[in-house]
Amino acid sequence: MRKFLGLALALTMVTAACGGSAPGGGGDSSALAPAKDVAPAASITWWHAMSGVNGDAINKIVAGFNSSQSKIKVETVFQGNYDDLLAKLNTAIASNAAPALVQVYDIGQAYMRDSGQVVPMQAFIDRDKFSTSDFEPAVINYYKYQDKLQSMPFNSSSSMLYYNKDAFKEVGLDPNKPPVTFTEVADAAKKLTKKDASGATTRWGFGPSVYGWLFEQLMATSAALYADNGNGRDNRATKVVWNSAAGKAILDWWKAGVDGGYFFNPGIDNDGAANAFNAQKTAMYIESTARLRGHINTVAGKFEIGTGLYPRPDSKPKDGGNIIGGASLYIMKSRPAAEQQAAWEFVKYAMTPAVQGQWQSDTGYYPIVKAAYDTGPSKEWATKYPQFLTAVNQIRESPQNRMTNGAVLGVMPQARQRTQKMIESVLLGRETSQAALDAAVADMNKAIETYNKANP
Amino acid sequence: MSIRTVLSYALLAVGSIVVAFPLLMALSYSLMSESQIATFPPPIVPVRPTLNNYADVLDTIPIGRYLLNSFVVSTAVVIGQLITASLAAYAFSFLVFRGRQILFFVFLSTLMIPWEATIIPNYMTIRTIGWLDTYQGLAVPFMATAFGTFLLRQAFLQIPRELWDAARIDGASSLRFFISTVIPLSRPILGTVAIYGFLSTYNQYFWPLLVTNQTLMRTTQVGIAQLRFEETLRFGLVMAGVVMVAVPTLALLVLGQRQLVRGLTAGAVKG
Repeated sequence: MRKFLGLALALTMVTAACGGSAPGGGGDSSALAPAKDVAPAASITWWHAMSGVNGDAINKIVAGFNSSQSKIKVETVFQGNYDDLLAKLNTAIASNAAPALVQVYDIGQAYMRDSGQVVPMQAFIDRDKFSTSDFEPAVINYYKYQDKLQSMPFNSSSSMLYYNKDAFKEVGLDPNKPPVTFTEVADAAKKLTKKDASGATTRWGFGPSVYGWLFEQLMATSAALYADNGNGRDNRATKVVWNSAAGKAILDWWKAGVDGGYFFNPGIDNDGAANAFNAQKTAMYIESTARLRGHINTVAGKFEIGTGLYPRPDSKPKDGGNIIGGASLYIMKSRPAAEQQAAWEFVKYAMTPAVQGQWQSDTGYYPIVKAAYDTGPSKEWATKYPQFLTAVNQIRESPQNRMTNGAVLGVMPQARQRTQKMIESVLLGRETSQAALDAAVADMNKAIETYNKANP
Repeated sequence: MSIRTVLSYALLAVGSIVVAFPLLMALSYSLMSESQIATFPPPIVPVRPTLNNYADVLDTIPIGRYLLNSFVVSTAVVIGQLITASLAAYAFSFLVFRGRQILFFVFLSTLMIPWEATIIPNYMTIRTIGWLDTYQGLAVPFMATAFGTFLLRQAFLQIPRELWDAARIDGASSLRFFISTVIPLSRPILGTVAIYGFLSTYNQYFWPLLVTNQTLMRTTQVGIAQLRFEETLRFGLVMAGVVMVAVPTLALLVLGQRQLVRGLTAGAVKG
């Protein structure tokens, strides 16, 4: 299914690139917000990719907005997961049927910008002198290109260490002091690994999924760049640079753990890694902060879950930190000015502290405005899930620089897949770490060159 | 019972367990709570079966409406495919006209065009006629099938030519021969085309997602996607949804099978 959608996506991208340039032309980043006196449209449509409880939370926000005023009615449409939504958006753009507001995932950022189909959020912010001073810097910086906000951050999460406090106690580790550096994680993992009488491992110390996002996060805590031109934020990236000493150190650490039998390798399987942690097959693992509630509900008190800072090199580089992930909201250029205006009104509403606090407590994502932490729902959430504090502190303490802002590439989805293949081939011993890094970088540089040529 | 029979039954039993295993696991997981699934080693049979997952599916998505939509669309596609494919196949097998062979190969060559390549043109057509969010938008693009036509043509070619001659001598028109001889004789193969068409439509994901924007017009597979949450996968919930979606099709298959067998035994010409 994935492969198949990937193909559909690629095809629609080609079509969008060929036929979609009619209104406004491709790559036009100077697009302006409509004049301030434009009356907002009576109704707009918002495409999102949130299902289940998150989908309910979205509908709650919209219902709140619709009843808070009488001029604009927002309608939500669930369009499948992030990939499906983007594929559908591309098809819709080609035939001029895109909605006014869309939610697109983090790694679709450069693609959305280069499509020239978006009115940058900064245009509205500047026009209305809308204040973003209370916004979480780590979150807002992720969606900036050349220091201009392209879209409005919406659902944001980061990565952190999850660990089994009971297992820590069992082997004599301090359950309130999770390991932070690569060596500390490896040492703790060795102690936490258990074997049965026949020598088969019954519990591994650490079990991260082979997930490209985790590698990106490890590069950021290593204070290393993923791509050139300031991770593609000062100017469009022309090549990826993760085949550095930092990249090699990450792979060597990972590989040594798997070879030594104290890191579990679930393969490219995020849900499998999460399930292994729930099933106490692994005692520590790294994943999104947004998974916290799911873990707590599933584990249901069978053991106590602790959360800690994301792993980093032994030198703890002071420029290193965490990147946020998630999705953001784009206002589409192809819609009439009145609809864009209506979308902007809704975006402003969604960024109010009360809405953000409720959103956090309904979903487990970070509130984007700091004042939201003072609202009732957010405080309740903090009491119920004290482990979330780690996540908040972690992004607060991350220094803001190009490394921790994270990379932006038009071919980010492919880059993520390529790094996964790279990690896997190292873990399985098919390639040495440096050779794998170099091969992956060479492949991606070719892809970037093609992309940049196709989207001048 | 001979050893041979015992052996072949044993082999068949093993084979059927292997084939049915994923389905049985889905059923088993759908009856487990999330914390029970998350134990190691993974359990095979639920210890304390629960229907909570099913209740949650009903709470999360309007599954009844989705099932109805899928049935309406799939049935419409099957009817459409049977009509167009059998008529086309009849022309390609019984009627003699200039360029028949070439036309048939052109027809077949459309099998080589990947469906993905036609998504955007199809979408634009549907949008232009204003069929987004309608049953016809979901069904009409799939009402002709080159594969089904090919299958039926091969089957029609097996029908003895003598029957055609006899019908003509008795003064039957082409249409009469088609309706009262060809169709009854081809019931099994028509059943195959119907089931194939039904299942492939029923399992469609991207097209229904593309042409519908209202919850009320969506189909089952889109519904299953709605059960997959972005940050946490609830295996039990997804499996409960899968079971609810799969059961009607399985029932249909069981019912259809009798029809297929009956069709197979209806012989026409002897010797």
